[in-house]
Amino acid sequence: MNAPVQTAEAREIALAGMGASRLRKEDARFIQGKGNYVDDIKMPGMLHMDIVRSPIAHGRIVKINKEAALAMPGVHAVLTADDLKPLKLHWMPTLAGDVAAVLADEKVHFQMQEVAIVIADDRYIAADAVEAVEVEYEELPVVLDPYAALQPGAPVIRDDLAGKTEGAHGKRDHHNHIFTWDAGDKSAADAAFDKAEVTVSQHMYYPRVHPCPLETCGCVASFDPIKGDLTTFITSQAPHVVRTVVSMLSGIPESKVRIVSPDIGGGFGNKVGIYPGYVCAIVASIVLGRPVKWVEDRIENISSTAFARDYHMDGELAATADGKITGLRVNVVADHGAFDACADPTKFPAGMFHIVSGSYDIPAAHASVKGVYTNKAPGGVAYRCSFRVTEAVYLIERMVDVLAQKLGMDKAEIRAKNFVKKEQFPYTSAFGFEYDSGDYQTALDKVLEAVDYKGLRAEQAAKRADPNSPTLMGIGLVTFTEVVGAGPSKMCDILGVGMFDSCEIRIHPTGSAIARMGTITQGQGHQTTYAQIIATELGIPSEVIQVEEGDTSTAPYGLGTYGSRSTPVAGAAIAMAARKIHAKARKIAAHMLEVNENDLDWEVDRFKVKGDDSKFKTMAEVAWQAYHQPPAGLEPGLEAVHYYDPPNFTFPFGIYLCVVDIDRATGETKIRRFYALDDCGTRINPMIIDGQIHGGLTEGFAVAMGQQMPFDAQGNLLGNTLMDYFLPTFVETPHWETDHTVTPSPHHPLGAKGVAESPHVGSIPTFTSAMVDAFSHLGVTHLDMPHNAFRTWKALREHGAAL
Amino acid sequence: MEVKLDKQYPLDVDAARAWALLTDLKATASCMPGAEITEQLSDTSYKGGVKVKVGPAVAQFGGTVDVIEAVASERKMVLRGKGADKGGSSASMDLTAIIMPDPANPAHCVLNGQAAVIVNGKFAQFGGRMMVQVSDMLLAQFVENFRQTALTLPAAEGSPVAACADATAGESAAAATATAAPVVAREINGLAIFWALLKSWFSGLVGKKA
Repeated sequence: MNAPVQTAEAREIALAGMGASRLRKEDARFIQGKGNYVDDIKMPGMLHMDIVRSPIAHGRIVKINKEAALAMPGVHAVLTADDLKPLKLHWMPTLAGDVAAVLADEKVHFQMQEVAIVIADDRYIAADAVEAVEVEYEELPVVLDPYAALQPGAPVIRDDLAGKTEGAHGKRDHHNHIFTWDAGDKSAADAAFDKAEVTVSQHMYYPRVHPCPLETCGCVASFDPIKGDLTTFITSQAPHVVRTVVSMLSGIPESKVRIVSPDIGGGFGNKVGIYPGYVCAIVASIVLGRPVKWVEDRIENISSTAFARDYHMDGELAATADGKITGLRVNVVADHGAFDACADPTKFPAGMFHIVSGSYDIPAAHASVKGVYTNKAPGGVAYRCSFRVTEAVYLIERMVDVLAQKLGMDKAEIRAKNFVKKEQFPYTSAFGFEYDSGDYQTALDKVLEAVDYKGLRAEQAAKRADPNSPTLMGIGLVTFTEVVGAGPSKMCDILGVGMFDSCEIRIHPTGSAIARMGTITQGQGHQTTYAQIIATELGIPSEVIQVEEGDTSTAPYGLGTYGSRSTPVAGAAIAMAARKIHAKARKIAAHMLEVNENDLDWEVDRFKVKGDDSKFKTMAEVAWQAYHQPPAGLEPGLEAVHYYDPPNFTFPFGIYLCVVDIDRATGETKIRRFYALDDCGTRINPMIIDGQIHGGLTEGFAVAMGQQMPFDAQGNLLGNTLMDYFLPTFVETPHWETDHTVTPSPHHPLGAKGVAESPHVGSIPTFTSAMVDAFSHLGVTHLDMPHNAFRTWKALREHGAAL
Repeated sequence: MEVKLDKQYPLDVDAARAWALLTDLKATASCMPGAEITEQLSDTSYKGGVKVKVGPAVAQFGGTVDVIEAVASERKMVLRGKGADKGGSSASMDLTAIIMPDPANPAHCVLNGQAAVIVNGKFAQFGGRMMVQVSDMLLAQFVENFRQTALTLPAAEGSPVAACADATAGESAAAATATAAPVVAREINGLAIFWALLKSWFSGLVGKKA
């Protein structure tokens, strides 16, 4: 036996609980190439699926000839919408209350839409057979611009919705109109603008981008015709939701459906939805009675699985002459593609876009979002953000800059003037969100001091005064607030299931433990951080706590991991389950020590008799007792399950500052400095937080500086390979500086708020703020993303700043 | 992806012979590298294919060509071609070709071509950036083949020719020009296109035209 660790402090360090920068438990397998991803799964008798996709963006299917493909050796089946019709599976419901074609039924609505599937002995035969399926199309006029789509004579994209004037979110007033969603108080906002001393307005486009996780989407479906049960290994951020949907679609009882998310190579919202490929693989497995694997390639991933953003936004601010904001109005035209397949809580077709009043105390505000069908792939997922929060933060941060420019105020000063003050929390925004906690001013001061903001402004003034300066210097500043942790069931559900999350903890007789969760890690490091929460709550070393997720047959029901909800919701569930165990353990310890429960103190890993340090029982001893000889009247065992329905969202915030130097000759931009201060409340693993922030900043950099999905007039997506679509590597990625303040959430059991999405949400407007700042002395108020060298070079020439 | 081309090619062939070749769609088509007419469906409608080779990859577009308009008095021909490839690409082209006599030299003419080419699917996605340059190259090859074939026609105005390149060894052409059997590219070769593009780019850099 090891010598017992003596001091409480030393014992606490040994637990590696909350606050410890514990190394990631996942990395041992990943860095050795021993991860187990969907494409690593091989099953006896497994067949392979590939998909015939539409080369055109809009057209009728005249004829599909599958004879040549079926005649190829090794081909088992070719299925089209007509084959799925008898099963009523040629269309499926989306998370947004619309329907989407599983396989194109009579017409195709976007390029790369799924038209037919081929099942073959191996991936190569399947790919060859895809080319042998002959599909004849009659081309239809294509509409790609959502404004054009709403014109009276615009082509009808969704023939299946003909005559349907009522959508899932209210009236439809045009054949390509999906919904109009309003938040806030329009008349109050209008009144503020009528009385305003100053108003500004700005149009901006938040381009369509793709989350592009390193691992593409796929699944292995295995239906057992004897037992009648279905097991599916799938790249899903929400395996329990998939199980419910699969059961509803297939009619197989949920108890006979097992969904497993194994290791997931990044999700970023791309793996929330249910894609036709999954449904087809499952159907094929049921039809053929053999396991079927489908894994999409990169081009398929970028072209057809869920995109993000594509918001055309108009913002307006009303203010006093000295810069106090009095009103906000926002109008958005949202391009949803051919099917409304946004992944949002049911009641919120524009997600949490109404966080658009930001960190500012704005008394009157109104936002209106209009969803529109176009001939593009469906999606609109929360790409590393909590449902359209990125778009909202971008808009308000840009607008505050525009107002500052109009008034000749400094962007730090105008923000400080309008902040929700520390003493105003909990603060209810004009849109009805109740912000839990915040201290924006302290955080802003910390950043401005750390970067010597005044010095930077002086340097910029000197550069502007020099006509021969080879660079334009820009300083971007963003002071954002996010809403994450969806969410309270009274407000948030997905397909009617409340957005709680769950945890089950079992303490084994010898004092180690296993926790099973309703969430699923995709790189966040849950196996590391969740164990740290339990370690601190129950005094068990995190090293002996196993965390299991992703298998619906073992894990308690949960809504999954997206929208920064793991720590705010599942993290709270862990704390609550642990506290149930703790309460029982206290009873057992009291029995063992022959004292009253109230006479016990908890210290790190043990219950002590008050006033006598020599009398104690560790959690490990209590666990043994719980299985060996529990007190009379108490059940044996030491375990608990908790379903946590959060009382509110959490509101992490951050202050980001960026300095850019733009080469006046080439338009190349150097990110000289990026300083990110985040406040995510209580910090569970600072090293993992830093990693999350680095990753989010890098993805934000990608979106702001290079990512785009350009379409030509015919609807061909011209950027669906990694030769075109910008994924920054070590070479392009700038150096990141991170910092933090800690303002715990008062309603969360641990005070934690969630962090992984803040750096993405916050950094993107920071880059734009810096780019525009570099041009602001030339009267430029906004530049649309991406800020790549070509576009920046054009802006330099347009504004007479090119060398 | 749509590419619009508007080109004038001066030819050392008289207008009558050029028009005679143009009205023989089968012969004209085979002047396009890699293209051939396989079947005549009606007076104005043909079935055919184009084979494009880019490195190891071969794409075979199959489709139809329709004569929309043929005005002998203006020596004007309007064609519409449509096709698809099994690998997930489709293409269509509206082409207006007019043959004008060269006012300075009655033995020469100018071939005016206006084309709107729409390509969808993988070809547009992968080849989008090269479309204009590749189309230029293809047309240049086509015009050269067209010129050579027209030169093999009898000078007298009249009978349409049977075929283009393969026919050069055959009877009708052999009768007119026994000696010069023109070398005609039979396939669009990606490497050749690349090489030609590279050459013209380099010569552009050093300031002289290729």
